Amino acid sequence: MRFALSEDQALLQRSTREFFATEFPMEQNRRVMEHEPAGFERAGWGHIAEMGYLGLTVPSARGGQGLGAVELAVVLEEAGRHCVPGPLLDGMLAATLLASGTGHDALLADVLAGRRLVTIARDEALYAGGRAAPTAFERGRVRGTKYFVPFAASADALAVATADQIVVATGPFAATALPTFDLSQRFAQVTLDGPATALGPAALLGRVDLLAAVGAGAMLLGLMSRMLEATIAYTQTRQAFGKPIAIFQALQHRMAEMLARTESTRAAVYRAAWCVDHDDAEAPLACAAAKAWAADAARLVCGEAIQMHGGIGFTWELDVHFYFKRAKTLEQHYGSTATQLERALAAAGY
Amino acid sequence: MDLHLSPAHLAFRDELRAWLRANLRRPWRDELRDPAHGEDSLMELRRAWQRKLHEAGYLGMDWPREWGGRGATAVEKAIFEAEMAHADAPQILNTLGIGLLGPALIHHGSEEQRRRFVPPMLAGDEIWCQGFSEPGAGSDLASIKTSAVLDGDSFVLNGQKVWTTFGPWADWIFVLARTDPKDRYGGISFLLCKLDTPGVTVRPLRQMTGESEFGEVFFEDARVPREQLVGHVGEGWRIAMTVLAYERGAVGLAMANRYGRDLAELAAACRELGRTDTASREKLGRLLVENEVLRAAGVRMLATLAEGRAPGAESSLEKITWSEFDKRFRETALDLLGPGGQLLRHAPGARSEVDWAREYLWSRAGTIYSGSSEIQRNIIAKRVLGLPQDGR
Repeated sequence: MRFALSEDQALLQRSTREFFATEFPMEQNRRVMEHEPAGFERAGWGHIAEMGYLGLTVPSARGGQGLGAVELAVVLEEAGRHCVPGPLLDGMLAATLLASGTGHDALLADVLAGRRLVTIARDEALYAGGRAAPTAFERGRVRGTKYFVPFAASADALAVATADQIVVATGPFAATALPTFDLSQRFAQVTLDGPATALGPAALLGRVDLLAAVGAGAMLLGLMSRMLEATIAYTQTRQAFGKPIAIFQALQHRMAEMLARTESTRAAVYRAAWCVDHDDAEAPLACAAAKAWAADAARLVCGEAIQMHGGIGFTWELDVHFYFKRAKTLEQHYGSTATQLERALAAAGY
Repeated sequence: MDLHLSPAHLAFRDELRAWLRANLRRPWRDELRDPAHGEDSLMELRRAWQRKLHEAGYLGMDWPREWGGRGATAVEKAIFEAEMAHADAPQILNTLGIGLLGPALIHHGSEEQRRRFVPPMLAGDEIWCQGFSEPGAGSDLASIKTSAVLDGDSFVLNGQKVWTTFGPWADWIFVLARTDPKDRYGGISFLLCKLDTPGVTVRPLRQMTGESEFGEVFFEDARVPREQLVGHVGEGWRIAMTVLAYERGAVGLAMANRYGRDLAELAAACRELGRTDTASREKLGRLLVENEVLRAAGVRMLATLAEGRAPGAESSLEKITWSEFDKRFRETALDLLGPGGQLLRHAPGARSEVDWAREYLWSRAGTIYSGSSEIQRNIIAKRVLGLPQDGR
């Protein structure tokens, strides 16, 4: 029995941490988030593809790395820690979905190489009242409206969920940008009315959902870890009443609580990932719990980071707000907390 | 990562499960539902259960065999606790003797002391209570004032202990006493005292649950033979730290099993009561999620032990996690159960599976005993986060 990462996994963690630190320094991420309309740069995306991250959980027979959810978590924890903007998780999930369906080999190869971007279009729940007609696939055409499609404006194709199957629609799409306060992500409302090809049954999303929960949970874990480190460092530098403020018990106890949330999230996320990789019967419950918990924990930890930084914590200048905002996006997507709670209850038979 | 139990651990678990199926009479709680049964009945039931476990070789799990233990690993001990919780077994009677004093004697006691005290401790013939806290020394344990003065062949004890768990039921007490008033840590010694010694008075304290599981112990010129000193004079603090490390133990998985069982009962009760609205489902879902997180932390702790590492400050994280969750869990449970959740055990219509009213009250104790949540956060701030210390 061993909770620590294997040698290979630890190596992946080190190389990923180094890669993001070198290729995605925060000043650059900040520039991309603030000024790049797409929300990411093609050059950086190419580097991500070269590292093989996009095909991490794609079987090697289909051109991927053939690794599992634990490795996915390792990479995304680091992406969260470095606040890497762009469709990394979305691209990984779409590649996994494409590889689990039939046909689309050329598209999958292009996705893994970073030449084309595919994301998953799923959500039909309207963000402001009402509900759209369900997306339908008939006689080779897909029709419908999808909301909050990740990076739709940059996507070359979308994997579109209908009630019973997944189809692939090729762009360009009529996409209306849905700007939110989180600049690390880009969303759009997409109206589909064009040719599409069948990928497979909707049940293919089952595995994608588990990986999405683990992946988003791991990213949240990375955000939290970084915010805890930043808070510990800042409170030891900042002086008040002639002392570093880290000396005050009121702050120490809150930082202890931040650690408790971060470490319990780590246990939950990596155990969930391990359960997915071993087809463990506990996987659905473990994944739902990990994602729901990680979301609450990250909101608390990132919020406490703002509070303990004081006035500077509320400025645009400090990086903390990017983390705080991203935590909220990750909470509401990849299976919102309400969705994860229902999944957990269903998995437990309650 | 590898979260599978090893084949040896799996075999141990399966053997234990088989033994429990054959030996644990369920539902044992029903025997206690008769109003004629008081706390004595529970204690006797616990004594009988302890003896059964002892005969089967399941007590003193991680003690050496020569002292009546099983010689098992820390992992097996954690699995044992988890399985007991999973099977809803009663607690043993001598929790403090076996859980705390036993390890202290094995680490720091003399051969004669082990020979004298360990066998009746295991057999449930001598029940122990823990004399640490005092009216003026709780979280700040090192400020104890109970004094022990050597006079000829015995120490003369004077002072008062309080919140002494099992005081009213115990035969013996292990006491932290001050042998040097000038040396805060080095002036503390660890003594064993029989409770019927002249000059010792035990008074039960009624807890908010109505039970008197704890009490207070007064020493007025009580003489304790010199050979009942554990370790050397002045080693008491070090021994106490060994004891407290055992007290915090690796219990996350056991707690998750216990709460998981109660949660399943709560879910069933919600269905019966028609509490299936969205708000109720969300409450139940959040409890389930939090318990799964506790389970994951317990699995991680088990793996830490399996790698041969001592948990250290991780025990503080684990203790905060389960004890703070316990409060939220029991509060939400009563919320979902409605007024019926407050019914006493033998009231008409009280739910039989879990004593929800008692659990609700007891959950307020977990964040105080064995190092309050505040003390655990101090430990984390200092030992894990490395934060500066002179602010208080």
